[in-house]
Amino acid sequence: MDWTYIQGILMLAGINLIAVLGLSLLTGFTGLFSFGHAGFMAIGAFVGALMTVSPTTTPAGLGLPFFVGVIAGGAAAGIVSYFLGRITLNLKGDYFCIATLGFGEATRLVLNNVQVFGGARGWPGIPYKSTLPAIILVDVLAVVFLANLVKSRHGRNMIAVREEELAAQISGINVFRYKMIALIVSAVYAGVAGVFFAHYMTFLQPKMFSMTKSTELTIIVIFGGLGSISGSVLGALLLTALPEILRAFEIWRLVFYGAAVILIMISRPKGLMGGMELTPAGIRKARMERKARLEALKEMKNGQDGEGSNG
Amino acid sequence: MADILEISHLTKRFGGLAAVNDVSFSVPEGGIVGLIGPNGAGKTTIFNLITGVYSLTEGAVKFKGQSVVGLPPYKIADLGITRTFQNIRLFKNLTVFENVLTACHLSATYNIAESIFRLPRFRKEEKALVEKAEKLLEIMGLTDRRDLVANNLPYGMQRRLEIVRALALDPELLLLDEPAAGMNPDETEHLMKLIVRIRDEFKLSVLVIEHHMDLIMGVCEHIVVLNFGLKLAEGGADEVANNPKVIEAYLGTTEEA
Amino acid sequence: MTQFLQQLINGLSIGSVYALMAVGYSLVYSIMNFSNFAHGGVIMLGAYFGYFALTLLKLPFIAAVLLATVGTTLLAILVERVAYKPLRERNAPFLYFIISAMGASILLENIVIATIGPTFRTYPQVIERIPIKLGPLAIGRLDLLMFFISAICLGGLILFIEKTKMGKAIQAAAYNIKACALMGVNTDKIILIVFGLGGFLAGVAGVFFGMKYTVYPQIGNITTKSFVAAVFGGLGSLPGAVVGSVILGIIETLVAGYISSQYRDLIAFVILIGVLIFRPTGIMGKNTVDKA
Repeated sequence: MDWTYIQGILMLAGINLIAVLGLSLLTGFTGLFSFGHAGFMAIGAFVGALMTVSPTTTPAGLGLPFFVGVIAGGAAAGIVSYFLGRITLNLKGDYFCIATLGFGEATRLVLNNVQVFGGARGWPGIPYKSTLPAIILVDVLAVVFLANLVKSRHGRNMIAVREEELAAQISGINVFRYKMIALIVSAVYAGVAGVFFAHYMTFLQPKMFSMTKSTELTIIVIFGGLGSISGSVLGALLLTALPEILRAFEIWRLVFYGAAVILIMISRPKGLMGGMELTPAGIRKARMERKARLEALKEMKNGQDGEGSNG
Repeated sequence: MADILEISHLTKRFGGLAAVNDVSFSVPEGGIVGLIGPNGAGKTTIFNLITGVYSLTEGAVKFKGQSVVGLPPYKIADLGITRTFQNIRLFKNLTVFENVLTACHLSATYNIAESIFRLPRFRKEEKALVEKAEKLLEIMGLTDRRDLVANNLPYGMQRRLEIVRALALDPELLLLDEPAAGMNPDETEHLMKLIVRIRDEFKLSVLVIEHHMDLIMGVCEHIVVLNFGLKLAEGGADEVANNPKVIEAYLGTTEEA
Repeated sequence: MTQFLQQLINGLSIGSVYALMAVGYSLVYSIMNFSNFAHGGVIMLGAYFGYFALTLLKLPFIAAVLLATVGTTLLAILVERVAYKPLRERNAPFLYFIISAMGASILLENIVIATIGPTFRTYPQVIERIPIKLGPLAIGRLDLLMFFISAICLGGLILFIEKTKMGKAIQAAAYNIKACALMGVNTDKIILIVFGLGGFLAGVAGVFFGMKYTVYPQIGNITTKSFVAAVFGGLGSLPGAVVGSVILGIIETLVAGYISSQYRDLIAFVILIGVLIFRPTGIMGKNTVDKA
C-alpha cells in the first residue's frame, strides 16, 4: 500500500468531513433531517469551479484564485439555503424533509441541463488545488468553528430546539432563527466541501451529487453519533476508508449501512460516540454524568430498601 | 398596586367549540393567584393564550399594561412571562446544569461571530452565565444533582428543575401548570413553601393552575374558578370554597350525586 | 386540440400511477403523522414480486398481482415492526423515525442490487400493446386497466374507511391516536392494518409501474414525485393525494409535450416550491395544531 493511495483516502475523507460537520450541526445538534445536502455540495462545487476555471478551457470561467472559489462556493450554497429555509422551516418537520429531497434532486436536474457546465456529460479541466495540507487546514478550522459554536449559548439553543421545541420557544429561543442559522451554516460547510471536491477530482458531473451522496453524508453523521463532533470526525475517516478496504464486498456495503442505520436508531441512537466528545472536557463530562447517574441509582435503591420518600 | 397581568374577555374557539369563553381576571403585581377548575375547563388553554402558543379568537391580554397579543412565544418570554408545563417538558437528555444554563441565554448578548472566534465579550458573558446557572441551582437545592441527566431525576425534582429553568429567564410573571401533580402531601408542602419563597426572593408574580386544593388554599391570595371555558367565580380562598356554583362544578348537585 | 386531449389522457395515466403511490404514503402519514420514506422501497419490491411471479413461477396475471400485493403487505408490516415500532414504544423523537425510514429504504434498494442485480427487467407482455381508439385519441389498454384497478382500489379503501367499524377506528386514530388508546382501542392493530393497507397499495402500484415501464432497483426514487403530489394535494388527505397526483401527472405530461421533455422531472419540484410558499396545507390538506 503506497502513500499516494492512503493520501487519496485521507483527502476524500477530509473533504467529506467538511460536509459531514455541517450536517452534524443541522441534524445532530438541531434535529433537522436533510435528504438533499449533496445539492449544496453541488452548488458550491460548480460555482467554485466557475470562479477558478481558466477562460481558455471554459468560456464562462473566471480564472480567479482558489480561495475566491472557496468563498464564492460556500456563499452561494448559503444564500440558496436561506431561501429554502424561508419557505420550509416554519412548517412541520416532514415538509422540510420533502423539500430537501426535492431540492437535492432538482439541483442535480438543473445542472444536468446547464450546458455551460457541460450538462450531464460533465465538466473537465478544473484546476487541481485540493492538496492534503489545504484540506487538513480547512478541516481543523471547520472543527474548531463548529466546536466553538456548539459550546456557546447559540449552540445550546440549537440543542434545545432539538430536545424540546416548544419548551425552547417558551425559554425565549427564536426557534425559526436558530433552525435557519443551523441550515445556513450546514449549507456553507457543504458548499466549501463541494469546492474542494471539484478541485480534487478536477472533473465534475451532476450525478456525483445524487441522493446517494446525500444519504451517505447523513449515514456518516449517524454512525458517528448525533450530537458528537468527534464522532463525525471518526465516522468520516472510517466510512470513507472502509469501502476501500472492503472493496470486494462493495455491493453489500450499502445493505450493511441500511441495516446498521435501523439498528442504531432502535438501540443506540447516539451512535459510535454515544453523544460524547473525545476531548479532555468531553471525557470529564461523560464521567461526571455517569457518576451522577450511579449515585442516583444507589439512592433510589436505598430509598426502596429503607425509607420511602423521594423528594 | 398595579396589575401585572390583565386578561379581558379572552375567548378561544376551536371550530365550533369555545375552549375559553369571555374570561376576564387580573394578577396583581407580586401576587399569587390560583386558577382552578375541573379537567377540560380551559386552564391550560389560557396559559397557551397568554404565552402566545395559541392565537386568541377574541379579547385582550395585557402584561405590565402592554398588549402581548400576536407576539411569538419567544418574545413573550423575553418580555418576562415564563411557564412550566403540565407534562414536564425538560430538555430530557441534557443534565440539570445544562437545562438551566441553556435557559440563561437571554442574560448574554454575544453574537455568533464572537462565539466562533472566542472574543472577549464571549468569554466574559459566558462566565457570567455559568455563574448565574450555578447560583440558581444552589438556591433551589439542586447543586448535588447538577450532572445528572434530567431524565434520570426523580419526578419531584424534575418539576423543581422545570421551575428553576423558568426562573433562569428572570421572569416577572411565572405561570405554573399543575406543579404539584403526582406529588405526595409532604412534597406538596415543600412546593408550597418554595412558591412563596420564590415570589419573595425573586420579586415576581405567580399564576398557578392546580388541582391540589391544599396548595391552592394555602398559598393563593386570590382564586379564579373556571368550568367549560367560562369563569365561574373568583375571590379569596374562603369565598370560593363556599361558593355554591363552585361546589356544584366539582361535586355535582345533590340530585346527581 | 386532439393533441391536447391525447396529452391529457397520457397525463391521467401517469397520474394514476402516482396516485396509487401517493395514497399509500398519505394513509400512513394521516395516522402516524409520519412520512414513511421506505414506501418507495416497498413499491419497488412489489414490481419485482410481480415480475418473478410472472416469469419464474409462470403464474397467471391475476395470481401474480395477488402474490405481489400479499408480499408487499407483509413487507410493509415487517418494516413497521422492525424499524418503527421500537421507536414508537420509546417515544422517540420524530427525527429518529425519519432516519430509520431512510435506513430501511437504503436496505431494501441495495438488497435487491446485491442479490438480484441492478439490470433492468421487462415485464412479459400481459396486456396487448395495441391501444384502444376513441376517435382520433388512443388510450393504452394497460392504462385503462390501471385506471380501473386504481379506481377500484381507492374506492374500496374509501368505503372501508367510511363504512366499516375498523375504518372508523382508523379515522379516530388519524385524529388523535393517544386518545384512541385511552378509549381502549387496540392502536397496535390499527397501525398494523394501516401499514398493511399502505403495503397493499404499494404492491398494486409497483406491479403497474413495472408493467408500464421497467423493473429496476431505483424505482423508489420515483416515489419522490408521489411525495410531492401528496404535499400538493394536502398531506394527510387521501382524496388530496389522488387529486394532487393526477394534476401533477397532467401538468408534467403537458410540459413535456409542449415545452421540453428536459423539464418534465423538474416541474414536480417547481410545483413543490409553489405549494410551500403559497399554500403549504395543499389543495385539500388539514390544519393541525400542536397542543402544549
